[in-house]
Amino acid sequence: MKFMIGLLSAAIVGLAGTMPAHAETLRVGMECTYAPFNYRTPEGEMAGYDVDVAKGIAERIGVDLEYVCQEWDGMLPALLASKFDLIVASMSITEERKQKIDFSIPYRVSLGRILGAKDAGLKLFDDAGKPNPEAFNGLRFGVERASTYAKWVEAKLPGAEIVLYDGAQPMLLDLQNGRIDIAITNPMKAYLDFLSKENGAGFEFVSPPIDEVEYFGPGVGVGLRKGNDELLAKIDKALEDMIKDGSLEKYSSKYFPFSIQPSGWKGVGE
Amino acid sequence: MSLLDGWWDDFFFGLLTVLQVFCIALVIAVVCGLLGASAKLSNSRLLRGIAQAYTIVFRGAPELLVLLLFYFGMAITLTWFVQVFDPSVKFIDLPPFWAGSIAIGLIVGAYMTETFRGAFLGVDRGQVEAARALSLKRHQIFRYVRFPQMWRLALPNFGNHMLSIMKDTALVSIIGLEEILFVAKMANSIIHRPFLLYMTVALIYLAVTTVITSVVAWLELRANRHLRGAR
Repeated sequence: MKFMIGLLSAAIVGLAGTMPAHAETLRVGMECTYAPFNYRTPEGEMAGYDVDVAKGIAERIGVDLEYVCQEWDGMLPALLASKFDLIVASMSITEERKQKIDFSIPYRVSLGRILGAKDAGLKLFDDAGKPNPEAFNGLRFGVERASTYAKWVEAKLPGAEIVLYDGAQPMLLDLQNGRIDIAITNPMKAYLDFLSKENGAGFEFVSPPIDEVEYFGPGVGVGLRKGNDELLAKIDKALEDMIKDGSLEKYSSKYFPFSIQPSGWKGVGE
Repeated sequence: MSLLDGWWDDFFFGLLTVLQVFCIALVIAVVCGLLGASAKLSNSRLLRGIAQAYTIVFRGAPELLVLLLFYFGMAITLTWFVQVFDPSVKFIDLPPFWAGSIAIGLIVGAYMTETFRGAFLGVDRGQVEAARALSLKRHQIFRYVRFPQMWRLALPNFGNHMLSIMKDTALVSIIGLEEILFVAKMANSIIHRPFLLYMTVALIYLAVTTVITSVVAWLELRANRHLRGAR
């Protein structure tokens, strides 16, 4: 019983710790499981490109940060329900999302590429880089739920058999295990986590980079609730400064052997 | 196990979170269960109706759905409710810890309502009549006659509900609470060993549920100790 009481009091202390933060703290929502963009190290530190960008912004506009881990599916609803104040979670700027929230200027490119087995002999795109919808018929196609990729696949490739996943990790695992034939995801992440590793040795990109602005938008931005124009202007200003003084380039070189900025995008895994 | 180096402390704190959710949900579930059972057995039509609605809703809706409704819906409802009394309040949030604990407590409370109701019905009416004949007061009858005998009948099912609560705590990772499943997801995004990590989570859960099962077995032994001599 004493043990129970101890736990209960610990719980109450824990609750006090999560009481609403004071004014100068911005709560940042991210998945915390999307290495190398936002994740937690074994030491308990938040790390990744998104985290660096968030820290850079916080430093420049003079606020403290608090990280809130949120599953991807619920990212927009959680922002709208004020569970946090900013989304810095590799979220692409799209027209559909802009109807609900505001976005800063982009802080990296947003595009997708399709992965498949090397020995499957997949010829899904013509020489001009356009998808051939017939070639996708009956293929089991792994897609992340509520992602820009899902919108593109649904619109362009109605013949594919879409299999939805909650994240890139389980999707790549299923690709490896043969439960799906192909998968579309972020090529930077796919290259670092999968293709360049032992697990992904039998796989390759089977499409050119897909970056139709209509679906993928101009890039990845910071999301915030509508009506925070002052904060939005400050964040835009901070991001512009970080692009100009090379900070963003420096952050990305910590994780990627290639540039992920809109101006310097070269492609990966060729 | 060197692969998991550096993650053990995260698993430990994750386990603490799970145990906290478990304790709070258990308290809520027992209180709701006792209130619900009393309401269902009462003479008041209104109370019976409320309890009936409660068990229908919380036993009928998927647990994950209730959890998400609480997490996303409660902040808005709470804010609206508090603003009625104090318009200066802008926003009230329900942290994931409390959203999760309350949701699980209410769900399992609905099941406990039925368990307790059945157990109360299992206590022989003659016992209550005898207690009345001895001019015991209502609360004395509850405390010394009805509750101890109900408890003995409810225990096996009560143990099941405790296990349900324990396993439901795995759901709260979906609303961002950093319990052991969430730790496994975080670790997996870095070390890419899903089987090892999820097996670790399974073993931790198994260890805790084994303790719960033994505790319930001991409680049953205790509750039935007055019957042992008669066998």
